[in-house]
Amino acid sequence: MRTTRKIWAVAAGISGLAMIVTACSSTGGNTTSPTTGAPATTAASTEKITLKIQTFNEFGYADLFTQYMKDHPNITIVHDKAAKSDDARAAVKNSIATNTVTDDIVAADLDWMPELLKSSDFFADVSTADNKNRWPDWKTAQATDAKGKVIGLGTDSGPQGLCYRKDLFQKAGLPTDRAAVAELLGGTSATWDKYFSVGDQFMKANTGAAWFDSLGALAQVANNQQAEPFESKADDSITVAKADSPAKTVYTMLTAHTNQSAHLAQWTDDWTKAFASDKFATVMCPAWMTQIIAGNAPDQKNWDIADVLPGGSSNWGGSYLLVPAGGTHVDAAKALADWLTAPAQAAAVFVKYGNFPSQSDAVKDPSVTAKTDAYYNNAPTGQIFSNRFSAVGHQPYRGSHYFDINDQFGKALTRVDVDKTDTPDASWTKFLSAVSQLG
Amino acid sequence: MATTTELEISPPVGDHRRRRPSRLRQKLGRFDVKASPYLYISPFFILFAITGLFPLLYTAYVSVSKWNLLTGRHGSAGFANYVAVLHQPFFWKALRNTVSIFLLSSVPQIILALVIAAVLHANLRARTFWRMGVLVPYVVAPVAVGLIFGQMFADQSGMVNALLTKIGMNPVAWHAQVLPAHLAIATMVNYRWLGYNTLVVLAAMQAIPNDVFEAAIIDGASRVRQFFSVTIPMIRPTLIFVIITSTIGGLQIFDEPTMFDQQNGALTAGGADGQFVTVTMYLYQLGWGSQNNLGRSAAVAWLLFLIILIISLVNYGLTQRIASEGGVSGRRGRRRKKVAA
Repeated sequence: MRTTRKIWAVAAGISGLAMIVTACSSTGGNTTSPTTGAPATTAASTEKITLKIQTFNEFGYADLFTQYMKDHPNITIVHDKAAKSDDARAAVKNSIATNTVTDDIVAADLDWMPELLKSSDFFADVSTADNKNRWPDWKTAQATDAKGKVIGLGTDSGPQGLCYRKDLFQKAGLPTDRAAVAELLGGTSATWDKYFSVGDQFMKANTGAAWFDSLGALAQVANNQQAEPFESKADDSITVAKADSPAKTVYTMLTAHTNQSAHLAQWTDDWTKAFASDKFATVMCPAWMTQIIAGNAPDQKNWDIADVLPGGSSNWGGSYLLVPAGGTHVDAAKALADWLTAPAQAAAVFVKYGNFPSQSDAVKDPSVTAKTDAYYNNAPTGQIFSNRFSAVGHQPYRGSHYFDINDQFGKALTRVDVDKTDTPDASWTKFLSAVSQLG
Repeated sequence: MATTTELEISPPVGDHRRRRPSRLRQKLGRFDVKASPYLYISPFFILFAITGLFPLLYTAYVSVSKWNLLTGRHGSAGFANYVAVLHQPFFWKALRNTVSIFLLSSVPQIILALVIAAVLHANLRARTFWRMGVLVPYVVAPVAVGLIFGQMFADQSGMVNALLTKIGMNPVAWHAQVLPAHLAIATMVNYRWLGYNTLVVLAAMQAIPNDVFEAAIIDGASRVRQFFSVTIPMIRPTLIFVIITSTIGGLQIFDEPTMFDQQNGALTAGGADGQFVTVTMYLYQLGWGSQNNLGRSAAVAWLLFLIILIISLVNYGLTQRIASEGGVSGRRGRRRKKVAA
């Protein structure tokens, strides 16, 4: 009983808050009358308004807000930063569910976009002639609804390279130089077969370390490399049960190499601690992962990064800025979101905070490509991720059930690899049964 | 007689003036006595109707509708949501986990609370220090508890497994196996709530008049006999309160198991094989996860409501019986002795 009460209280609380906030912002807008006698267009741009923007984690916008407010004295930006991305996700969904606008701009992770696109009416079309070609197609496609309406402006991205431990490679008699490592794994034509065969070589050297952290981490890459990993693009039907489905192929390939795994599930304490010790030699490395490794193992000086990825290329993560269509200052909000996601600003955020841009021009910006990272032995991380970004050709089809199936897929691998509670076949049967229960 | 007549005659005159307002006043007075207590407590019930009863009924309405969190209601579903939920093995797994974690946490918690309260009730040096000491874990934020215990119960690098290996035992797969996972979560719950329950029980113990104990001592009752025949029957109402609240809290457990899953966020937490997913977690994941199936989520909420109701009633009945048996015999025994004396 208290649960239902709690949930509805939260909903009521949020909508109540929404009403208060909208009331406040509308009075804020109305009390200040435009300068008398000025033409209508000028009046609109000098009207004192407050824009509320909700983000999560670290978007690196603090300096940009200050600058924007300096350039636009009539605009006050209120930054509402959620502690966790789950909180921000719940807030966005609640505002759609109750059809109330709390923030003029909301940030959304790539993972939530399929859900939000189903309610694309709630958001304004943010595409302009000017920003239309700012991103590669695969980035914009994830924010475009079936009718071609663009609801999100891309912020950052997660092109993936391969992070590896120099000392462990040396112990196993493998090359340690980052160009040589990229070459060893196949360079631009790197395949999963090559990755696992080098893995075999590494395991035979008995360094005490495993080749990679867990199957789940690899699945994230391998599934993102499929065009239609779980569902058919034609009719959104779930295809995983077919014997030759892409999901089954990936599953079979990965579970055949459980012996190269350190059996450490991502994000667990065991996993974060392992970066400092000698548990595994390689880890799939989206741009943002470099900070996570450095943060968890500040004293481990042997991590390096190679410009290569098994299976070619892949992007993991990245966010968007969305503008709810029912807001009080939709045009001003659109202008701010457009400015924040312009290449120059995105490059500035990367240089200071390390969030890798998703804008084609920003990725090639000299300030981005010149960036090096002392933690990775002064690796040219800017140039490496710029290369990794340019290699990304597509994003997988994400249908109605993508995230639930992806979650179940990861759990199926965890059962085999980390928990060791099931054989690969038994775990696959459980996976199919869980998928069939989705509704 | 004359006096009475006089008296009878004279009052009506004055009465006519005085009684009219007094009748109203009397009515008002009666109304005041009868209704005002309800008016005084009505703010709570009005608030409850808005924040408790209405959502409860509305949830029932949602549970018989096809309802997507984001796109809203899509017509009636009858009992299809209930049927779908009851046919999902995952629901039963969640229910099994919930009951198991509830039993592993509430039962030892209340027994330990009783014992610790009895110890604290004794004459100890610096007893305020000891009494406040047991409440310290309650002040620790649940998230912090989750972090601390998450480190302790980590499968490879955890302290508990390190200790187990030191004393020659095999390390336990805390996240992979069902019962160890439940034990670890129950430990978190007990850590947080034991002190709270201890203090509630202790307060009740302190309210027991001393002469009852003195009488028991004169009767030659041992410490243990006093505890079972005097203390427990005397704190029965408090015990019922503690048991019912921990039943409700225990069956709604959400934070601890959610944080125990470090690999997955709240929307997918509960272990790779649902080893420690609970009913409230399942409810949240159905309605707020990618499925956005608020209809099924509401159905789970109502099923949970009914389950809590039933278990609370069973608990109430049990405590009533166990405690009153001890109480009656204790009181009777005393009375008999007093009469004899």
